[in-house]
Amino acid sequence: MKLSKAWIVLVMLPTWLTAQEKLSKLQPPSSPASGILGLQPTTVLAPKSYQALETALFSNFINNNSGSIVPNDFALEFTPYWTQNHSLSVDEYLYPKSSIDQVIRNSSFSLASTQHFQLGDSTMSNALAFGYRTTFYFGNHKDREEVERFTGLLSTDQKVKAKIVSIAEYLIANKEITNQKELMAAIGATIVNAVYESGKIGSLKEAEEFMKDIVAKSILIPPLDTAAPDPFLDSLYSLIDQKLSAEIVFNEFKTYIRERYGFSLDVAFAGVLNFPANKFESSYIARQSFWITPAYRFKDKFSFLKILGVLRYEWYNADYYNAYFPGIKTYENNLDFGLSVAGEFRKFALSFEMVGRNSHSELPAGTDAEGNKLFRKEQNSDFQYIASFSYNLTEQVVLSYSLGNRFEPVLNPDNTLVSLLSLNIGFGSPAKNDIDWRKFNLR
Amino acid sequence: MMHKIYRYRNLSFVVADETEVILSVVFKSDGDKGHTAINIPGSNDCEIEDSGTQNIGIGSGLRGDTTIVTTEVANLIPEEDEIRIEYRFNGQLIKEHVNLKSEAERATIILYIKFPAP
Repeated sequence: MKLSKAWIVLVMLPTWLTAQEKLSKLQPPSSPASGILGLQPTTVLAPKSYQALETALFSNFINNNSGSIVPNDFALEFTPYWTQNHSLSVDEYLYPKSSIDQVIRNSSFSLASTQHFQLGDSTMSNALAFGYRTTFYFGNHKDREEVERFTGLLSTDQKVKAKIVSIAEYLIANKEITNQKELMAAIGATIVNAVYESGKIGSLKEAEEFMKDIVAKSILIPPLDTAAPDPFLDSLYSLIDQKLSAEIVFNEFKTYIRERYGFSLDVAFAGVLNFPANKFESSYIARQSFWITPAYRFKDKFSFLKILGVLRYEWYNADYYNAYFPGIKTYENNLDFGLSVAGEFRKFALSFEMVGRNSHSELPAGTDAEGNKLFRKEQNSDFQYIASFSYNLTEQVVLSYSLGNRFEPVLNPDNTLVSLLSLNIGFGSPAKNDIDWRKFNLR
Repeated sequence: MMHKIYRYRNLSFVVADETEVILSVVFKSDGDKGHTAINIPGSNDCEIEDSGTQNIGIGSGLRGDTTIVTTEVANLIPEEDEIRIEYRFNGQLIKEHVNLKSEAERATIILYIKFPAP
């Protein structure tokens, strides 16, 4: 019954979230916590998307021999800094004064849980994973130039429009004009001066042409009723907005901020806490991972392309694995290194990663003649390659699928096939009325 | 909707004849970029770039006509969900504008203000 309700939510969420008209595009799930718990197969952690709260429900289709096919795993990632306002200007946002500022702003915490953490004897146990990550962006001279260019263009449009709107509203509010013709005549000089002085248009003659075009088109919009002037004024401001191309400038600037070209570095940590007896008092930190992920986004016609590297150190708790995975070979120290190439398009993204692994353990090998402990070193190497495809059902719901060959798992080392379908749902800071859970009749 | 106009009418700020009036525009949300034009009675109209303050004159000079304050604002950063702006006269909050970005990422905010004598 619970399962059927969960599927109703999954099926309805895309439609429901479309109605929210959220504007920050979400990316496929990639939190450190879900990564270390094995809820996602890729080793390369894609940089964090921009949602303050992000959650993912995973549908892991495992064959019958390995156990569950029920999608009851859960992951959540949370960026606390952006839950409050800080009055950051665009410049302060893009160019933090210190590295500490970057760390604080980009710090996100993740949590993932599963009831199907399989032990060596095939029993299922509960596991909780916790993670942290932050991002450093390294701006460059070209980036600064581009930001200054966009800032200048947007600022000019806003200045021109604010002046024209203010004078038109003043004339109407104070009844200094009695009809549309008088209004257009009265604001004509303001339009010419505002446009010309802003530098948006090169000559006074062009500024006058700009004004004449607005006046000519104003005949086509709903006529001015001085008793109810808002419909006319709103249409007039829309005309000016179009003529200034303000919307285009804004969208280009916004897109650039999301996809700044240059170099960034993600640093992440995650750990798994396992409850082998399904009792809270009895827990082990089974393994821990530390990631360094450098990324570079290209510019201009290759702006869809992103290259990510990965360096991951993974530590396995030898005592824990000896106790709960007897007879199964694990290596205490694992170093992963590799590369991922990602192409991000308007509605979908493709990525391919190749990662190598070097593993080693130091195992007890008795004692020497003087009683000193001896160790022997065991080594292994492995290789993983996975292709992923994600599609934005809406700006807030991403469906993604991964296929490939993973590192040999601790259990069933021959089972290296990856086939994972997941759904990621983003929440910004929805208003109270945005979410009406009663629609889903969940108890 | 990408752009929306918000009008706030019938605002007033009681001020004595000789008291100077300082308008403060404070962008509270992160990542706002904007420009404010202020049309007061007479010819001393002024402007504010982004957040800032401006002396708009003394009380006696602001009587009669309605003063218009127009802010053209856009929010550019993906982490922010709203546009929130405070308008203050001499430190006193006269209007706080808030809109979700799901409603409008670019907004024109228009305040109609009278300055009656005490």
